[in-house]
Amino acid sequence: MKKNLLSIGLIVLALCISVTYLTGCAKKAAVKEQVTVTQEREPAVVAPPVVPPAVKPVDDAAARERALREQALRDQAAREAAAKEAKEAAERAKKEAAARAAALLKELTIPDIHFDFDKYNLKPEAQAILKAGAPAYLKHKEYKLVVEGHCDERGTAEYNLALGQRRADEAAKYLVDLGIQKDRINTISYGEEMPLDKGQNEEAWAKNRRAHFVTFPPVK
Amino acid sequence: MKKLKCLAVLTLVYLVLSGADRASGKVYIDIYSPSFHKFPIAVTDFKPLRPDRTNGDLPAWFSDTLARSLALTGYFHLLDKRAFLEDQAQAGITAEGTRFADWVTIGAEYLVKGGFQEDGRELIAEFRLFDVVKGELVVGKRYSGRPEDKNRMVMQFAGEIIQVLTGEAGLFDTRIAFIKKSGASSEIYTIDFDGSDLRKVTDYGTLTLSPRWSPDGRHLAFTSYKDGNPDVYLRDMESGATQKIVYYPGLNLPGSWSRDGKRLLLTLSRDGNQEIYDMTLGNSLLQRLTRDFSIDVSPVRSPDERRIAFVSNRSGSPQIYIMDADGGNVRRLTYEGNYNTSPAWSPGGKKIAYEGSVNGRYQIFIIDAEGGSPQQLSFNVWNNESPAWSPDGRYLVYSAHGNGRSRIEIINANGQNVRVLHEGSDSSKGPFWSPHLR
Repeated sequence: MKKNLLSIGLIVLALCISVTYLTGCAKKAAVKEQVTVTQEREPAVVAPPVVPPAVKPVDDAAARERALREQALRDQAAREAAAKEAKEAAERAKKEAAARAAALLKELTIPDIHFDFDKYNLKPEAQAILKAGAPAYLKHKEYKLVVEGHCDERGTAEYNLALGQRRADEAAKYLVDLGIQKDRINTISYGEEMPLDKGQNEEAWAKNRRAHFVTFPPVK
Repeated sequence: MKKLKCLAVLTLVYLVLSGADRASGKVYIDIYSPSFHKFPIAVTDFKPLRPDRTNGDLPAWFSDTLARSLALTGYFHLLDKRAFLEDQAQAGITAEGTRFADWVTIGAEYLVKGGFQEDGRELIAEFRLFDVVKGELVVGKRYSGRPEDKNRMVMQFAGEIIQVLTGEAGLFDTRIAFIKKSGASSEIYTIDFDGSDLRKVTDYGTLTLSPRWSPDGRHLAFTSYKDGNPDVYLRDMESGATQKIVYYPGLNLPGSWSRDGKRLLLTLSRDGNQEIYDMTLGNSLLQRLTRDFSIDVSPVRSPDERRIAFVSNRSGSPQIYIMDADGGNVRRLTYEGNYNTSPAWSPGGKKIAYEGSVNGRYQIFIIDAEGGSPQQLSFNVWNNESPAWSPDGRYLVYSAHGNGRSRIEIINANGQNVRVLHEGSDSSKGPFWSPHLR
């Protein structure tokens, strides 16, 4: 903190001095500028005491000022470069972490499985999807899973809630049989209430008769 | 309900003479008759009880509102005011002031006349039902209350008319709870029997389903996902206080109550698959009633509480089954069609209404609780689902969906007189009729 304030002071000083320098070498002008410098220095409370340029010979003072200014600029450039590099490194790390997380999530993603009308048995293609999806959960044991059971819009809301629960339960049981611990899998039925496709045709209904898998990362 | 109490206290019966005989004796309307004769009835504009007062729209408001309420029952043919012969300016509102011959001529069998008096914060209304053929008063009532009670006064007298002509209480003090679904959330609403006074009951912004009135009408049990899982809640309809009462892992759904309001049938998936349980509300003690590897859902008690109807797919498709109250003696009730669900036991105990699939559409059916051939009640090309009985067993309310529209409809138990109770572009479903709320 202190160091920061010091640098700010130096920069302010350097700027003021450069103003002095550029404005001209006349003593009168320097004195005039002196007032400005003093005023401008006020906010920088921890700036080191600097000998007022007005009481020194002008060329001597100007040389020192130039040196100081150049030093300050070099320091600043170095700091900026370091900061930039650190920022880029952080961004790279962040990107890599996100990519790793995305890859992991992709590895853990189980696509929807589908059912026949009024059925909850797992069809061969559904079993294949679950067999392909299970190993990731066997490897990453800290991840949990919620299986949602859904139905198409046809039939009774209540019966469909039971049917959706059954679909979720059947999928969950299959995953347990594949070795995933039972307490890592929760089930919930949404019956006919959350269709993916609002259409009223077999294509839409087939999409909606599904078990959907939601991955839950470990709670930190 | 407060309003009704206030009215009841101030109700005066003018004459009970012939009305008492009718109420206890002959039933004029048999709703189970396959085609009954609609009663021709006339309702005249009401008269200011003090002739010097002019009361704007009220004379026609009373007659029109009462006529509409009577028409809703499906038992009356309302005669057109323009056909009235009796000189309304000269006629009175009592039997003495009525020329019954004028009403016989136009084919009326019953006639309603009335008068009112509004004094600032007080409204007094008189209603009289006449038997035109006999030329006598059947029932007369005088109500007093606040001006905003006028709708209740009309409903109450409409109930009197039904009571005196059929021997049973009307339905004007009942409401229907149902679900309105918009997007991924659904809320419970209630509406009056005449389709007025729609009120939103829940406001959770999540899925809420399956409203079930308690037998005294005080509570509503329902399922909501408001805490993430489908759990059963109980709402006090007077105070609005709501508590979560059943929240096992998996599915928690309410079925029907016991008559004493102390037990609630449930569908739970807590034991690995969907089974039916009877829960004592005081201590949450569960009695498991079904033990079958298939889906068992939607339990409903017989009015004598000795049996329970429910849906099971143990035969491979959803069908209605009946078991004893302790879960024993399970037998299949429906055999026609491959999708029969949503059983509703009639208040008289003899019939079970349900929905069944016919040619890819869902229709309302009634079947004898002892078994037999089902009778199809709805025939349109929409999907008609989730039937529930009125407390007097005369009507069924159900949901109807088609053409992107959604309705709650009421049909007479004999399959006649379909009327729309509520219609909207959002999905309306799962209606359940309240008991008498008086």
